[in-house]
Amino acid sequence: MHPLRRLNTYYWRYRRLFIPGLLCAVASAVFSIIVPMVVRQAIDSVPRFVATYRAFQGTQLESFVYADAFATLAVFGTIILLLSLGSGLFSFLMRQTIVVASRHIEFDLRNQLYGKLQALSHDFYLKHATGDLITRSTSDIEHVRRYIGPAIMYTTRALVVILTALSVMFWISPKLTWYTLIPMPFLAVSVFFVARMVHVRSDELQQQYSSLTSRVQEALSGIRVLKAYVREESEAVAFDAESSDYRARSLKLAMVEAAWRPVFVTLVGASTLIVVWVGGSLTMTGEITIGNIAEYIIYVALMTWPVAAVGFVITMIQRASASMIRLNEVFDAQPSIPFEPHTEYTPAIEGRITFRNACFRHADREEKALDDISFDVPAGSTLAIVGRTGSGKTTLVEMIPRLLDVQEGVVEIDGKDIREWPLETVRTAIGYVPQDVFLFSDTVAANIAFGQMEAAVAEVEEAAREADLLENIVDFREGFETMVGERGITLSGGQKQRTSIARALIRRPRILILDDALSAVDVNTERTILGHLRSHFGQRTVIIVSHRVSAVQDADQIIVLDEGRIIERGTHAELVERKGFYAALHHKQQLEQEVEAFH
Amino acid sequence: MSSKADTKGIDTRLLGRIVSYLMPYKGWVFLAFITVMTAAYLDPLVPKLVQVTIDREIVNRDMDGLRRMIGILFALLAAEGFLSFVNAYLTQWIGQQAIFDLRTKLYRHVQRQSLRFFDSRPIGQLITRVTSDVESLSQVLSAGVVTILGDFFKLIFIAWFMFVLDWRLALVTISVMPIMIYATFWFKRRVRDAYRDTRKQVARLNSFLQEHVMGMRIVQLFGREDEEMRRFTGINDDHQQAHIRTIFYFALFWPMVDLVASAALGLIIWYGGLSAMQGGVTIGVLIAFIQYARRFFEPIRNLSDQFNTLQSAMAGAERIFGLLDTDMSIPETDEPAEWPRVEGRIEFEGVWFSYDPDVDPTDDTAAWILKDVSFTVQPGHSLAIVGATGAGKTTIINLLLRFYDIQRGQIRVDGVDITHLPLSVLRHHVGLVLQDVFLFSGTVRDNVTLRNGDLDDETIRRAADAIGASTFIDRLSKGFDQDVRERGMTLSHGQRQLLSFLRALVHDPKILVLDEATSSVDTETEEVIQRALTTLMKGRTSIAIAHRLSTVQHADQILVMHRGQVRERGTHQQLIASDGLYRRLYELQYKEQEAA
Repeated sequence: MHPLRRLNTYYWRYRRLFIPGLLCAVASAVFSIIVPMVVRQAIDSVPRFVATYRAFQGTQLESFVYADAFATLAVFGTIILLLSLGSGLFSFLMRQTIVVASRHIEFDLRNQLYGKLQALSHDFYLKHATGDLITRSTSDIEHVRRYIGPAIMYTTRALVVILTALSVMFWISPKLTWYTLIPMPFLAVSVFFVARMVHVRSDELQQQYSSLTSRVQEALSGIRVLKAYVREESEAVAFDAESSDYRARSLKLAMVEAAWRPVFVTLVGASTLIVVWVGGSLTMTGEITIGNIAEYIIYVALMTWPVAAVGFVITMIQRASASMIRLNEVFDAQPSIPFEPHTEYTPAIEGRITFRNACFRHADREEKALDDISFDVPAGSTLAIVGRTGSGKTTLVEMIPRLLDVQEGVVEIDGKDIREWPLETVRTAIGYVPQDVFLFSDTVAANIAFGQMEAAVAEVEEAAREADLLENIVDFREGFETMVGERGITLSGGQKQRTSIARALIRRPRILILDDALSAVDVNTERTILGHLRSHFGQRTVIIVSHRVSAVQDADQIIVLDEGRIIERGTHAELVERKGFYAALHHKQQLEQEVEAFH
Repeated sequence: MSSKADTKGIDTRLLGRIVSYLMPYKGWVFLAFITVMTAAYLDPLVPKLVQVTIDREIVNRDMDGLRRMIGILFALLAAEGFLSFVNAYLTQWIGQQAIFDLRTKLYRHVQRQSLRFFDSRPIGQLITRVTSDVESLSQVLSAGVVTILGDFFKLIFIAWFMFVLDWRLALVTISVMPIMIYATFWFKRRVRDAYRDTRKQVARLNSFLQEHVMGMRIVQLFGREDEEMRRFTGINDDHQQAHIRTIFYFALFWPMVDLVASAALGLIIWYGGLSAMQGGVTIGVLIAFIQYARRFFEPIRNLSDQFNTLQSAMAGAERIFGLLDTDMSIPETDEPAEWPRVEGRIEFEGVWFSYDPDVDPTDDTAAWILKDVSFTVQPGHSLAIVGATGAGKTTIINLLLRFYDIQRGQIRVDGVDITHLPLSVLRHHVGLVLQDVFLFSGTVRDNVTLRNGDLDDETIRRAADAIGASTFIDRLSKGFDQDVRERGMTLSHGQRQLLSFLRALVHDPKILVLDEATSSVDTETEEVIQRALTTLMKGRTSIAIAHRLSTVQHADQILVMHRGQVRERGTHQQLIASDGLYRRLYELQYKEQEAA
């Protein structure tokens, strides 16, 4: 199936715009084609008037003949104006329907694409870089839109203009027409090649632009090293080389772009000259009139753009196909963990979490990220997970909201395989605080209420209080309405983390997951937040991943992960007793705390 | 900023400064000017000769004459095509040279600035100046001036030819021009406003997408799919509407242009036809005017385009020149002092420093980062600086490398005030080893030599062997030629540190400045790093911000910093014995390493 076939349904959907639009294109073309005929009539009428005028010169009819000529020519002039008005009106309507329809389709396509992106699971995002997906939803869709709108519009208009003009021209003089047409195929072919080379070379230029940008980015980020090692000069020379390469590619592009005007000037000019030459010879033999020459000159001008459009349209279709293939990749992707809505028959989640011999291996890795993990967290109890970076802690907790699914073994919620619960039910029951804080460029309040739509102001405040964020927010000039992110203030790492915690807490979840969510807050704040959490102990299952013993020591059970396996498990007291990894960690952090206390 | 430039039109002084970048190429600019003028003359010459051909050869049925004229016309056409190609390429060539000059000049200027400059400016902003702001000038510098003159003269030539053919008919034709000019400028203004709105919507759409693709996990985890879809649809719709508004203007503009052109055509037919009856105008003249009327519009449209380009370039130019006019580089001394024998003695004498450049040097209560810091390190000796975060340890390093200039006191190397030494000389002898090893894209070798061509492979290899880095580098699939940014290529923390030691070692400085890493590495790696450090420090004066027990234990002198001041100094043994701040720091921070 051709990639662009997918668009047919859209044409059908907007047929109420496309059909009148195409008719307008035809009407507009027809009107503009009549103009040259009127010009020919007018010009050919001049010698007749001159002859008549001379014949009646000096007679009483002289002024009558003059008035007749005056009126006739005025009528010709007015007809030209009216025809142009008609053509203009329909061309206006054509753009207002077809191009607008293309924007509607673009809108639909983009909505569909974004909807699809929302449905796709975590693994899809591991495979595709953010930038790549953004390109697909912006410039790829734009390429497709140009095919939908302008390309179809130009093609229709071009076909009508070329066919009508050709029929009229052949009817007047086949011989002259054949000659006039000689440069036209060259025009279409040249436009096609120049347009394609322009695309290729602008892409190359764009690549070099990125390379130039990252060079600057890197040099300025590492400016301390550059300066310390007196590498400014050599770096500047390297930058010169990048700049110079950029210049070279710009000039390569300039070379083809410089061809545009000569192509048009010489080929269109050649057609006009052929009209004068061959047409001139034909008038000498009386086969055509001088008016026909004027008419042909206008036809040539009218046909220039449609013929050139053929070249453009072909490149547009090529680009659109390439883009559509990339879009189809997203459209045809299947979510590995499909969404299932919550139903009224689904029981409420209590919060017991059980892992039975769970194993997981990331796609590009040889060793298992999780190897034979088993534990049971009764509803309302707390599980803490500690371990080195890369020991599999995050992978483990990502199994619970089903960002990932186990490959062997089973994860259960309330004794039932997690895959048998509707996805919505599972996720609604979970408050998740990920390791990398991600906030949206929105107000603080909106970021907290992200966890619970339609949350009351009091609820947002309560969540902020529990996350020990309230005091900070009150200090902000605009309080809860303060914008965060690029367009607003920059929150500190700790503030961001606490906002992220508040976002999870506002859901009042049965299961709360804190994935190293307290790393950027100090020990005192950590204590406050944990204290708030503790008031919900018993009613909420808490899974807490941390590097800090202080954050995990009160948990009902603690597991220590190493290379995807559980190497120690027990309560704080039991683990300290064992003098293993946990005990060593505990000792080290006691010392650290004392250092901090000292200052 | 852009809105300011939009409203005030063209600032001639600023324009003059932009154009000054064309001066080195003035010969080529002149040539471009000649070609554009010639093409501007040839363009309206063709219809004129067609007129002559029709009125003379065709009407008189002179077949040979017709052939001769057509020959001339084809030659003219070829000449015009050739000239316009040369001109288009030449103007781009000139523009790209000027852009290159400006870009490299701007880059060197930025790079030369002191760290004070970088502290106060986001890197992203600087990148924009060097890349897209410079790019925005390219249109002006290339086609800009020459094309404006070319279009202007084309208008004049066309008008001239029309007037010579028949001044009354010329006046009649030109009578529609004011409508054309008005329509064009009206359209450009509206479209510019509409485009601005469109750009805003595009940016909004892009940032929504960017954010939501990056944070898709959050959207899904919190079950916000429906709500975010609704918001996306809203933004997408605004984006759509903004585009539909620009469609309206375009849909209106092209028929307008056509209508005005047709009005001119109608007038030519009517008035020209009547004059022809009275013998004032020939058929050839009529046909020539029909062509001129069409050609007249193109330069007008181009001129209005150019005007807009100029305006938008002004905003970029203002920012670029603003940057070029700010100089916060460290002043280089005019009369550099001799540094006769580089031995490596370092002296800080009563050094006061604040990151605030406007601080009053005599005010002892100001926000000083360093207060009256003095110490001396003898050649070949080692100094360890300890203290809590924010005590001013890193600042001492920054000052020794002269990343900043001090407000009070003096820093000397081998007795020479560092402000009297050329920066390159000072830094050549001071090697910096940072705790966060900044890896540039490129190969391992590039990162070690920092593209210093004087360092040959043998030197690097010897240094790598000495420091014990060869083992892991040889294990990389391409050894020293391995690209450090390649996918899947991850260096461990220990390896990255070895690389930065190697970087310092191959540059062979007399003075070594170490900002030790805080993160712990496994025992095996620790041993390797320890040995490497010993090799590195041999025969050099060193100053280390110490996080390692062995560094403080082996240091000839330890400086205990607290809130910008030197609290204690001495050797490890002395300080332990004196039972002060150091002793406590040691117990809490370093003793554990001893246990491990």
